[in-house]
Amino acid sequence: MSSTRAFGLTRTSKGFSLTRTLKVFKKDMAMGPRSPFFLYALVLPVAMTVILQLVFGTLFEPKPRLGLVDFGDSAVSAGARAIEGIELTFLDDVETLKRQVEANDLDVGLVLSADFDEAVRSGGKPPLELYIGGESLASTRIVLDVTALDLIRAVEGSVPPVVVELVHLGDAPSLPISARLVPLIMMYALLIAGIFVPASGLIEEKEKGTLTAMLVTPVRASEVVAAKALLGFVLAFVMSVVTLVLNNALGSRPLSLIVVVSVAAAFSALLGVVLGAAARSVTALFTIMKSSGIILIGPVIFYLFPEWPQWIAKLFPTYWMIDPIWQVALQGAGLGDVWVKVAIAVAIGVVLAAIAGVLAGRMAEQVAGE
Amino acid sequence: MTAPAMTAPAIQVEGLTYAYGSQVAVRGVSFEVQPGEILGFLGPNGAGKSTTIKVLTGQLTPKAGVARILGRDVTLDDSEIQAQIGVCFEEKNLYLSMSGKENLDFYASLFGIKDFDAMAVLRRVGLAERANDRVSSYSKGMRQRMMISRSFINRPKVLFLDEPTDGLDPVSSAAIRKTIREEADRGAAVLLTTHDMFEADELSDRVAFINEGEIVALDTSENLKLKYGKRSIKVRLRDGDRVREEVLELGDPEAGARMAVAVASPDLLTIHTEEATLEAIFIQLTGRGLA
Repeated sequence: MSSTRAFGLTRTSKGFSLTRTLKVFKKDMAMGPRSPFFLYALVLPVAMTVILQLVFGTLFEPKPRLGLVDFGDSAVSAGARAIEGIELTFLDDVETLKRQVEANDLDVGLVLSADFDEAVRSGGKPPLELYIGGESLASTRIVLDVTALDLIRAVEGSVPPVVVELVHLGDAPSLPISARLVPLIMMYALLIAGIFVPASGLIEEKEKGTLTAMLVTPVRASEVVAAKALLGFVLAFVMSVVTLVLNNALGSRPLSLIVVVSVAAAFSALLGVVLGAAARSVTALFTIMKSSGIILIGPVIFYLFPEWPQWIAKLFPTYWMIDPIWQVALQGAGLGDVWVKVAIAVAIGVVLAAIAGVLAGRMAEQVAGE
Repeated sequence: MTAPAMTAPAIQVEGLTYAYGSQVAVRGVSFEVQPGEILGFLGPNGAGKSTTIKVLTGQLTPKAGVARILGRDVTLDDSEIQAQIGVCFEEKNLYLSMSGKENLDFYASLFGIKDFDAMAVLRRVGLAERANDRVSSYSKGMRQRMMISRSFINRPKVLFLDEPTDGLDPVSSAAIRKTIREEADRGAAVLLTTHDMFEADELSDRVAFINEGEIVALDTSENLKLKYGKRSIKVRLRDGDRVREEVLELGDPEAGARMAVAVASPDLLTIHTEEATLEAIFIQLTGRGLA
């Protein structure tokens, strides 16, 4: 039993009903598809994934483009076909190859004579025509040069003279930008589905007076707030999973992923109902979201720029919900690696739940007094 | 209309006070409503009618005084009271994107009503044919009928109706008044707020005049009229090209003879009693109108 003091008398309330909470939740789910915010939450992560992967996935990180003219049936061609990391184009004549390299349609062009393999195997040193585009990136040229030499060495039957050991410097292995964009899309999914949908839903109930209509039935304000939080949690969880699937970022530990996504969804939903209970209008909510947007989005910017001091990201509360997802979904971490961060996120969530409870008690009186 | 026999009051209010900050909206109000009785709360906008309802329905916590619904203190807020009351708000707070039937089904589920027949409720207020249409497509009168029907779904023992016919056409108003009377006849105690003196007069078993947060008069409308109205008859007679009016005071010993003369006169046009309207009494008591 809890009580709130308003003016001279004390109002005592008791009994939180999960059944009534689920009835309000059921109504919200049924009304969801009729709400533009709800639909926006469904569409946004998908649209962002498509747009960002389309733009950054191909423009920023194109595969090295190798053109081949093979006058015989060289094993180099067969080896090149087996490599996934390059874009291979076979051409019929040298002139076309040179033209395409010059036009920057190809980064590197390689011409293999009819007896190239035989000459290599016999210890001869056949001439190798390698054309390099002037506008190609140095890194791309190096990749293709090394690849070509490896393939030729394979024809000769020798092994590389060195073993290359990769050592990652910095906090985390550098991932392609398409992967580093995933936290940003995830954050937007959580922001809209987990925060904005329950917050706007609660405010709409206040503005249109339907909250008042519910509160003169046996339903308690805390049950309405809990129903909105549940709506935000379910929607945020589903859209987070959808976002991870679309971005091929499900990691290798599904159970750990479910836990960290659940914590993030609950975190965002609780933040949503706190904002919804505190804000008096949708306009006020937009103002809060605009002014505090950087606090919410802040940590994901650091994934885009790994050279920035990463400790700054930890100053943002939302870091503690998003980083475990980043670690598990994209860095291969398990729950044992991220449990401290998960625990901090849960602790923040508990504080948010307590704030939501207090605000729910005041909200009923606030609405009636307007 | 006669007031029901006295039983345990369904609504019991003693010295109720509420303030919005420093602005006192309800000041030491006391009254009772018996089961089956309609108490009309008559007063202008801002008089404290809606605030009183908000306190009694648990939306606001009183600053002072005691309010009991069916014997339970409203500050207990334990769902027991809410399960027994029905509220029709002045504001049309329906889910516009849901159909009329969906609206009623949802609220019935909050009351935990099993096998709820929304169509029967909608038929009662003449909305059965539009049951599956979204409320956003309803006219103002239809939405008001929805509001009324929603307040009935749990067959409440106490009904709070805040301006239930405000802004409606006469036909819709009459239909809603008929439904309210049926609820009272079923045994529900009804607290009806209105600034429509005709509605208060027609529906209410008793009327409370509320002004600036205080009840200035509380009685049956008949008693109020007798107490505050004039005991006189106005007679209008043709006098050549003009109309002459005579007022006959009922206490005057000559009134009977003068009345007989007037009735026998071929120039008699009309005879009116000088009974006061509720609005006239309200003005007489408060110095302000009901609008």
